[in-house]
Amino acid sequence: MTYESDFKLDVLKELGNIGAGHATTALSTLLGNKKLTLVVPEAMIVGMQESMSLCGGPESLVGAIYIRVSGGLCGHMALLLPYESVQSLLGYLLGAAPQELRDMELSTLQEVGNIVVTSYLNALAEMTNTQLFPSVPAVAVDMAAAVWSSILAGAEVADYITIVQTGFQTDAEIIDGTIAFIPDEEDLAKLLGALGMGEL
Amino acid sequence: MEEVFVNIGEIKVLAQEGRLVAIGLGSCVGLILYDELAKIGGMAHVFLPTNRKGGANQHPGKFADTAVSAMVEQMAAMGAQKRRLKAKMAGGSQLFSYGASVMDVGRQNVEALQRELQAAGIPLVASDVLGSRGRKLIFDVGTGQVLVFVIGQEPVEL
Repeated sequence: MTYESDFKLDVLKELGNIGAGHATTALSTLLGNKKLTLVVPEAMIVGMQESMSLCGGPESLVGAIYIRVSGGLCGHMALLLPYESVQSLLGYLLGAAPQELRDMELSTLQEVGNIVVTSYLNALAEMTNTQLFPSVPAVAVDMAAAVWSSILAGAEVADYITIVQTGFQTDAEIIDGTIAFIPDEEDLAKLLGALGMGEL
Repeated sequence: MEEVFVNIGEIKVLAQEGRLVAIGLGSCVGLILYDELAKIGGMAHVFLPTNRKGGANQHPGKFADTAVSAMVEQMAAMGAQKRRLKAKMAGGSQLFSYGASVMDVGRQNVEALQRELQAAGIPLVASDVLGSRGRKLIFDVGTGQVLVFVIGQEPVEL
């Protein structure tokens, strides 16, 4: 690991920390001020295969909300939830854990993702003094590896990916998840440049 | 029996026996080529239709427009005859719904592979593609059997 990439990852980690802090607060409010613990964020440059393990076992069932980010720092954001967490979350918000995910459940999930991700983006935009525009959130519930690789394919990532990842969990019920941000490499370089770190 | 996992962008070829496995096929496509007589089979885990962003590509299996010829070459080196090859494929689904901005990479992958196979003169004898579900693909090179798995459903033979 070079000095430059160490530096880049430190900056990203800090952005992730603040972004995810806001996102978790938003989720906590949504859940009636339930206490959510933020797992210390990680920023990393990983191979595609390595990144597959971010959301648990490749064949485990997950719910994912994906948002494309445009504006000053283009990229891709995803909220990944193990299926048990999807159930607890929907159970809390809709009154009963659903047997099956229909339109109502999926659009609730979509809205949760929207709230969490836009809170993250607001913090990110404020810190970097850029404007960021989230797309309409897309939702999927399927095998973790299939969901994640579809996100990566949409992002057309190269062999190595820069990811800022943060986890959160509640004390009581099983609601945990991962927020992943994949910045576009070109914009990332521009951003680091604007923060005075691009030419290091 | 040997079980070989074919990760994204990889091409794996086996002769006589063993299983080739691709898990987590969402928009990705698992492409199988088989020379039944020589019992030589290959699988590619194709990620994107083409290398649109440019840049070095060390993994021909990653893109539809390089995967077919690279796999044919690897199989020929092991004794397969190109004119005997038959193709099957699974994957290329669109898992995400609602979001207007999610591009249909799966469909693009499927169509690009269909074009490549046609150009190479390799018949596509079976496929289970598109739709909205993730798939797992298992190919038994010894018997030629191909199974497609979807969460919550019985496996389907391709």
